[in-house]
Amino acid sequence: MRFTPHAFAGTIIRMRRRDVIALVAGAAALMVPARAQSMPVIGYLGSESPDRYGSRLKAFREGLAEAGYTEGRNVAILFRWAGGQYSQLPALAADIANRGVSVIVAPGGAEVALAAKAATATIPIVFEMGGDPIVLGVVDSLSRPGGNLTGVSSLSVEVSRKRLEFMHDVWPNTNLFAVAINPMSPTSGLQLKNLNAAAESLGLQLVVLKASHEEEFDGMFSAVREMRASGLVFSSDPYFAYRSQLLAALAVRHAVPAMTQSRDFPLAGGLMSYGGDFEQSHRHTGNYAGRILKGEKPSNLPVQRVTKVELFINLKAANALGVSFPPSMLSSADGVIE
Amino acid sequence: MFSPGVAPRTSLFKKYFRVLFAAVVVPLLIAGGSEAWFGYHDQRARLNDVLDAEARLAAVKIKDFLEGIREQLGWTVQLPWSENPGDRRRLDALRLLRQVPAIESLSLVDAAGKERLFVSRIGLNRIETGEDLSDSPAVKGARTDRVWFGPVTFQGGSEPYMTIAIAGNRSAVGVAIAEVNLKFIWDVISGISVGQTGEAFVLDRPGRLVAHPDISLVLRANEDEQRPLQSLRTAILALPGQAATGQDITGKTMLAAMAPIPGVDWSIIVKQPLAEAFGPIYDALWRTVALLIVGAILAALLAYWLTQRMVEPIRMLEDGVARIGAGQFDHRINLATGDEFERLADRFNEMAGELSVSQERSERISRLRRFLPPQIAELVDRIGDDRVLDGRRVDVVVLFCDLRNFTAFSVSAEPESVMGVLREYYDALDEVVSAYEATLINFSGDGAMVLVNAPVSCPDPALRTVNMARDMQMRVQKLLIDWRKLDRRLGFGVGLAMGPATVGRIGSASRVHYNAIGNVANLASRLCASAQDCEILIDRVAAEAVRASVSLVEMDARTLKGFDQPVPVFAVVLEDAGLRQLRSGPG
Repeated sequence: MRFTPHAFAGTIIRMRRRDVIALVAGAAALMVPARAQSMPVIGYLGSESPDRYGSRLKAFREGLAEAGYTEGRNVAILFRWAGGQYSQLPALAADIANRGVSVIVAPGGAEVALAAKAATATIPIVFEMGGDPIVLGVVDSLSRPGGNLTGVSSLSVEVSRKRLEFMHDVWPNTNLFAVAINPMSPTSGLQLKNLNAAAESLGLQLVVLKASHEEEFDGMFSAVREMRASGLVFSSDPYFAYRSQLLAALAVRHAVPAMTQSRDFPLAGGLMSYGGDFEQSHRHTGNYAGRILKGEKPSNLPVQRVTKVELFINLKAANALGVSFPPSMLSSADGVIE
Repeated sequence: MFSPGVAPRTSLFKKYFRVLFAAVVVPLLIAGGSEAWFGYHDQRARLNDVLDAEARLAAVKIKDFLEGIREQLGWTVQLPWSENPGDRRRLDALRLLRQVPAIESLSLVDAAGKERLFVSRIGLNRIETGEDLSDSPAVKGARTDRVWFGPVTFQGGSEPYMTIAIAGNRSAVGVAIAEVNLKFIWDVISGISVGQTGEAFVLDRPGRLVAHPDISLVLRANEDEQRPLQSLRTAILALPGQAATGQDITGKTMLAAMAPIPGVDWSIIVKQPLAEAFGPIYDALWRTVALLIVGAILAALLAYWLTQRMVEPIRMLEDGVARIGAGQFDHRINLATGDEFERLADRFNEMAGELSVSQERSERISRLRRFLPPQIAELVDRIGDDRVLDGRRVDVVVLFCDLRNFTAFSVSAEPESVMGVLREYYDALDEVVSAYEATLINFSGDGAMVLVNAPVSCPDPALRTVNMARDMQMRVQKLLIDWRKLDRRLGFGVGLAMGPATVGRIGSASRVHYNAIGNVANLASRLCASAQDCEILIDRVAAEAVRASVSLVEMDARTLKGFDQPVPVFAVVLEDAGLRQLRSGPG
């Protein structure tokens, strides 16, 4: 080929044009997948339904935002809901793990955390639970969780005995109380032990009522009335916590003074609650998920314990039940609904 | 020193350039360097102050946090214990827990050291347990110092807690012991910022991290990981009053200062990334460097320009001197620098002018030498003025002489002999003419014309000329003795005349002669022509002038060509014995 300067220049121009066209076409082809690929995905494993998780999800998104992530903008969230069927959790966790998410968020109790832990040993997992993660076998150490798990624990499980104490403060002259336990909960044994020990030190008699399904709730309240127990103390359990409205309605219907871990209960008309601040714990969960998305290793993130424990009192419910609170409780309550 | 064409070892340009460049750049460098140095030290001192102030401020904040707890606790130890405290104490304790979230549990101890009340957020409250706490370090410490801060403990190996005990102003009010969750310091510590990204952290006495804006670092409670922070504290302690540099957990180099937190024996350390802390001084340094570079470039340009200005006249001088040295005297060095260079150039120009004049003169004199006797030539030279050669009318004595029968001799003799004869003849005449300081006008063939009293006048020119003629005769006659062997007929005659004549330089542009024009020259020539061998014929004017001192024989008046009347002629009597002998010898 004769290599005249003119021909050479022509070749260059042709090459450039071809390259530019190829580049543009390639970029256009890559644009959509590239955008999708660049956005990390959080797998969110919920034990209940989105409406029951509403307030928790709000706190979770706030925590994500603290770390700089907003759903739909720079992070996608893949939700899987068990709808109260805790037996489905392992399958849902495995489904999430198979979808190549960047991090799995497993809030709402030890069952969820353990299901996620069983599903993957590589994808980072951020859990949220009320009990002691070490005792429940989720992590080996709080300060250095190791492996792919970290998360937030609240003091709800530890403080179930305090509920009995508060009930006793309201009815200092009675000594029969009922305790609600979910036998399916991994923490039930421990809590029962704590409650029995507390009852002993307070000089109280406990009647243990077991319920692990919504259908059993009504019978439970009836039983409390029948045995003329002064009140019903719910142990800490997510299944109960996520059904605060139902429990509050039953408590009102049966005129049973009851106390749960979640503030949702007095807010829905129940008498009172004492437990960890779920807003704080879910916000920390969102924050940890964001930090892991940013590249931090879960093994470097210690398990955080939510320190805040809150007492909520519903005075309306108290009036309806003819109960008067001692001033010490009223003054130390974090929220009083009038 | 340097022969032209050999390059000097170094040029003036380079020397001046270096000196001028250095003269600007060195002060610039010194100024810039010292500014950077002092700037660095000022900044360092300022940073010391700023970080120190930040550390102390942060320490005050942490102290306020602890002080706040202490003050709240103070409410619980104001009233003395009675046998039955009732519900009042419990209410106060619960209100305290409500008021101070950091307190997880509170234990109230009476004067005897017995626990009277225990309230907790987590555990069950206890009343009147009567547990004897009088030997616990908290109670002992509080009783001694009013306030006691326990060591930091990490619950579950993670959550930092500390016990604070406080005693009332008298022993009857007892002691309050609070378990404080130190995670609440996070609100304080995360609110402390130093500069843009600087932060603070708290170490307890053994060097464990108590508070850090990243709470997970505290909760991890990993002492190996926290070692850099301890090293940082050690570095600060090694240089009291100064901010120290060191690495933090992330490995970034930090500038850090420390302040103690009194009471708890903790230290709060504020740190700022070194790059950020020294950011302003780095900016200033870069500015200085940029200015130095610009300054150096300007200095180079200035030095180049100045050197060019300085060296250019020197080059012109050098060039001019070289041209003048090469004989180009009309060259002038044109410098208008208005300084010493111009003066030097003027001097050179003057010198060139003088050289030119002197060369012209020496050329003129060397031209004059051809027809002036050496003495006269030198005279003209000495006077430095050849106006003596200008045309004028003076009384001169003109002498002509020639050889008799030389033409016939020159035809028959060998050319070498002819030339030899003429050479000796001319040499002899020349010697005599020089001796009498007369002016040899020319040689032509075997004759010569000599002028006396022009261009240089002399006393008694006629006598001088006659004496000269006699010497000529003497010399030539001696030569003739030898020459007559070649041709018997050769002889030598002289004629001279005195009178006014026009003398001066005569000639064309290319050939100039000094000559005398006038009747007297004609007459002398004719007298010479009519003179016999060994004869000196003189005219009447000359004869009158020398009659007193020279023996003359008046001859018959002769008819000479070009003269209407017969001309009186006198012959000089050659009484000299030698000459007579010469004449009569071989005969």
